[in-house]
Amino acid sequence: MSSYKEFLKEKEKIDELYENGYTITHVREDLSGAFLTFERSKLDLKNKEQRKELQILTADARKYFSNLLIANQKKLV
Amino acid sequence: MADLRVNFAGIQSPNPFWLASAPPTNSGYQVQRAFEAGWGGAVWKTLGEPILNVSSRFAGTHFNGQRVAGFNNIELITDRPLEENLKEIYETKKRFSNHAVIASLMVEPKQEKWHEIVKRVQDVGVDGFELNFGCPHGMAERGMGSASGQVPELVEKQTYWAKEAAKVPVIVKLTPNITDITATAYAAVQGGADAISMINTINSLAGVDLDSWNTIPHVAGKGAHGGYCGPAVKPIALNMVAECARHPEINVPISGIGGISTWKDAVEFMLMGAGSVQVCTAAMHHGFSIVEDMIDGLNNYLDSKGIAALDGLIGQSVEKYSDWGNLDLNYKIVARINNDVCINCNKCHIACEDTSHQCIDMLTSENGNAYLEVREEDCVGCNLCSIVCPVDGAIDMVEIPNGEPMTWNERQAAIKLPICNS
Repeated sequence: MSSYKEFLKEKEKIDELYENGYTITHVREDLSGAFLTFERSKLDLKNKEQRKELQILTADARKYFSNLLIANQKKLV
Repeated sequence: MADLRVNFAGIQSPNPFWLASAPPTNSGYQVQRAFEAGWGGAVWKTLGEPILNVSSRFAGTHFNGQRVAGFNNIELITDRPLEENLKEIYETKKRFSNHAVIASLMVEPKQEKWHEIVKRVQDVGVDGFELNFGCPHGMAERGMGSASGQVPELVEKQTYWAKEAAKVPVIVKLTPNITDITATAYAAVQGGADAISMINTINSLAGVDLDSWNTIPHVAGKGAHGGYCGPAVKPIALNMVAECARHPEINVPISGIGGISTWKDAVEFMLMGAGSVQVCTAAMHHGFSIVEDMIDGLNNYLDSKGIAALDGLIGQSVEKYSDWGNLDLNYKIVARINNDVCINCNKCHIACEDTSHQCIDMLTSENGNAYLEVREEDCVGCNLCSIVCPVDGAIDMVEIPNGEPMTWNERQAAIKLPICNS
């Protein structure tokens, strides 16, 4: 499979979580890749599950979530 | 006509092209002929205690028909009497008062030795000194040259001792045979150097003869490591000049040396911070007259850029050179093959398929013609295809808009930040 297609699969997972109100709250990286913790607002009472974990393997997806993270941090400043 | 005059740490010369301390500057006869040919300065072949040389001394590295892609030597400092050199320096300076005559010096790392040689050579009217802390062979086995140039404390001390006696500018010539040249460059500055120059030659063995199994060169069947220079070392030298030029605490002029063969090479070194350039191998390969093309080329280049003097050129690219962590991870280029220029040799496909990212497809058009196409989404912009392509213009590397810049350093800072989501 092309690396671009692998990236797209991981991007879709990240985008889906963002569309459902999650944002990245923690990043841990080790030899097996990046492990992202997503959380959504506690004020959103309708949604019971507040936290999700996602493992990211491709380099382009690691760039992608890093860009989202920086964009979010800029919004908060 | 641009103004090519140079004031390098107080040393004046009519242009930035100096002959490096080496066989081309072994005698007054040679240096005077070089000045007649147009060279702006010369660093006299290193003066020091009497030595003996061997035969043979040089070896060329030829690559795919290119003679002298690299050059190896095991010749030591001057083997001519000091008095004779001093007499010729005096005569040369008298005849060419506007040209820069710099004496390269090498003695043992002792204060009295440095004082003695600096005073004796200074008396004949040199414009400056270049301390040879770089020659990697022979003299290094005796604690001089690169042996002392690899130890920052010795670089600092010897520079200080030379400066104690010197009334003219002192340039410190650095060895590349060290992990981080900024460490010794900084030591030279701490010792009071007025300028630094780099690079001296790189430890090398040019080759081994497949019939005799002797080293190349060999001396009666035995070899010893030499110093490598010439076009092959240019990227190494250019990086070292740039690293020193961008170092905030190395704020002295830099004379660039290492594989400079054309005016274009010289411009690159000057853009990366060199205030003068020194040439050896190209002169040994083609003769002193190559300086004519260097002067003309530099002049024309400056005119074409509307630059009146070298100050408008020197150091202009230094701020573009940084650490890897400051590069934009989002910057994206991809390869595009121009099928009307491509000769279908398939070298790009083979290189990409075997050794890179497998993103160049071999396809067949509707009318049965073979053609190559890049899957741009999988292309990482490594440049390999365009590097191996034998046809100019067949492959373009094209910039693709890809969002806001993000460096590794910014990214690492961002993922470490605690993020509140409540």
